[in-house]
Amino acid sequence: MTLSTVALPSTVNSPIMNVQVPTVNDLRVKLCYICREEELYDAVDGENPPRAWTHPCKCTLIAHEQCLLKWIQTAQGSSSRAPNALKCPQCGAAYELESKDPWILKFIAGGNRVLQKLGSLFTVFGAATVVCAVGTSLYIICTTYGAWAVQKFIGKEMFDTLLTDDPSNWPWTAFINLPLLPISLILSRFQSTNELSPIIPILLVWPPTYPVGERSRRLQDYWKKPENSTRLGSLFSNTPSPTRSWPPSPVLFSLFGLPIIRMIYRSCYAHLYYKLMGTRLAVATRDRNRRGLRFEEGPFVIRIRANVQEEGQQQDQQQQQQPQQAQVDPQQQQQQLQMVDQAAEEIAAANQDQDPDAAAVAVAAAEQLIEINASSLGRRVGGALMIPAISSAMGSLLFRLSKHSSLLRQFLGVRLGMGSKKFPLPPPVVMELFGLEGEWEGAGLVKQFVMGCKLGMAALWGGTRTWAESDPIWWRNTVGLGLFIAAKDCIHLAHLWLAKRELESRKVKNRDFQGVDIRELDLIPGFPQP
Amino acid sequence: MASISARRLAKELREIQGEGCPVGISLLKADDFATWWFSIEVMGESLYQNEAYTLQFRFDSQYPISSPAVQFVVTDGKQAPIHPHVYSNGHICASILGNEWSPVLSVVAVCVTLQSMLASCKKKERPTDNDRYVRTAPENPKKVRCHLPKSVSSANSFPDTIPL
Repeated sequence: MTLSTVALPSTVNSPIMNVQVPTVNDLRVKLCYICREEELYDAVDGENPPRAWTHPCKCTLIAHEQCLLKWIQTAQGSSSRAPNALKCPQCGAAYELESKDPWILKFIAGGNRVLQKLGSLFTVFGAATVVCAVGTSLYIICTTYGAWAVQKFIGKEMFDTLLTDDPSNWPWTAFINLPLLPISLILSRFQSTNELSPIIPILLVWPPTYPVGERSRRLQDYWKKPENSTRLGSLFSNTPSPTRSWPPSPVLFSLFGLPIIRMIYRSCYAHLYYKLMGTRLAVATRDRNRRGLRFEEGPFVIRIRANVQEEGQQQDQQQQQQPQQAQVDPQQQQQQLQMVDQAAEEIAAANQDQDPDAAAVAVAAAEQLIEINASSLGRRVGGALMIPAISSAMGSLLFRLSKHSSLLRQFLGVRLGMGSKKFPLPPPVVMELFGLEGEWEGAGLVKQFVMGCKLGMAALWGGTRTWAESDPIWWRNTVGLGLFIAAKDCIHLAHLWLAKRELESRKVKNRDFQGVDIRELDLIPGFPQP
Repeated sequence: MASISARRLAKELREIQGEGCPVGISLLKADDFATWWFSIEVMGESLYQNEAYTLQFRFDSQYPISSPAVQFVVTDGKQAPIHPHVYSNGHICASILGNEWSPVLSVVAVCVTLQSMLASCKKKERPTDNDRYVRTAPENPKKVRCHLPKSVSSANSFPDTIPL
């Protein structure tokens, strides 16, 4: 079978000479470039049936047609080799295939290719959709949790003023801050001592927020009425500092109060620890080492570490919890000793048959337990996510207690008469109410700038008026959480102390040789023989 | 009737034994039609002067339709040359061993190509992703596609492969 022939120009141009152009069948020796078999033109013992030869390109390579077709078919089967399948490896000429390739086959093959393209597009878009859907639902869950946490923490009334249940009223920052809340809460459980307390994000984020939505407009309308605004006048002077200086503003408290209290608490805790355990709370150096490691390691290892601490290195865990212990007021430290005793009794009852990890021996033993234990991981994450609910519960407990103690009421800054009881909270932007707008517009650029700065600083340092004048639920929640953490630490310390005492007091009971044949014993000479 | 692969390899072997290998290349071992070993040395001035390496060919039953699995031997104290396209486990990143393989090539032609790959080397260094590759590479070099920027092409290996 001849596919193509090399036509020399001279033969084409000189029909008279009629020189015959040789084909593959005119070769004396045929050598297949694929299988390397040779065939002589006059071979008598030729293969039976004779195999077809082909010369598919413009150079001298020839091949068995079956070999070539097999090569083409194989090469076309792999996408990386397909471009070279129909090409001579020596001269690069394209092979021409003659086959039964009616338009219907071309059509179907073309359709198949189009479908393939569409299919891969669909794969990409489908994957993107799945990722988006998962991401969106995660985002929604996180945001919902964030909103719930904020509401738990600052109280329903403030929440309705600042955020409301309707996300369409939220400022754009809320859509970033809220979903980050659960993440920062969880992360704070896995971070070391010097990281910010989980409450700080909430405190820092919300004070400068202004009321939003329909409710806010209604508030302004309410306070604009003459009979109400006179009352407002008595409430607010024009100085930026709120009429009440206690409790401190959230920003002020989280920037300065928390670190100081945390420091005091930590030293108190270390002191108490030393008194109870007889050894120093020697975590500082180790903790530093751990942190160095932690930065280099992946999340997987972080989890393992977290678990190791959960299992055994309780002193470390103690230290880990420090960020959350920060809210405790120094005056509450005295309660600790009493609480230790109480807690000790409870735990003694609960743990008598247990042999909990304690002290250095247990730490060493627990080092070996580098297995992820799902429950303890869940305990960590779950505990972190429970913080808003715990602080809210503790806050309302404090509130109930404050009904019986005026001192506590003062400390918590409970304002029963102010909040929703008599009239709604005033909006934070009092400028409009006091007719400052006119003054604002009349002022020059510099003065406007100064006024803006003043207002901004006032909002930052003093909190907005909304914060300052509302019932400070956030404050008693913070104090409550601090108390909770202190209590938890005390229980933990008691647990440690009891476990350590149990270990130290261990003795193996000594028995006499009752029941043993006395003749088998090598006794001292003075022992009375029977 | 022996398989096409065996008959072609037998013929290649006869040619090697009859006509000998090109300078610097010699057959070390060809006990069967599955694995052949060659010694390969770069002649003339080059970074690999006086260094002999051992090249291993493994053939499957589809040879020469499918390419041979070619790599440098790194066992028995032998080492792979330090070259930007040769991994320390002996695997070679050369397009003629992969998607530019063609049945027109032969065992000797591959040897010659790899010899000239070494000869033209400007700087002795391992591929940039050597460690990662060696950690994850399968035993058979044909099972990975190499992604090095400039892999050895087959350009200079064809002219004298087929006696015409």
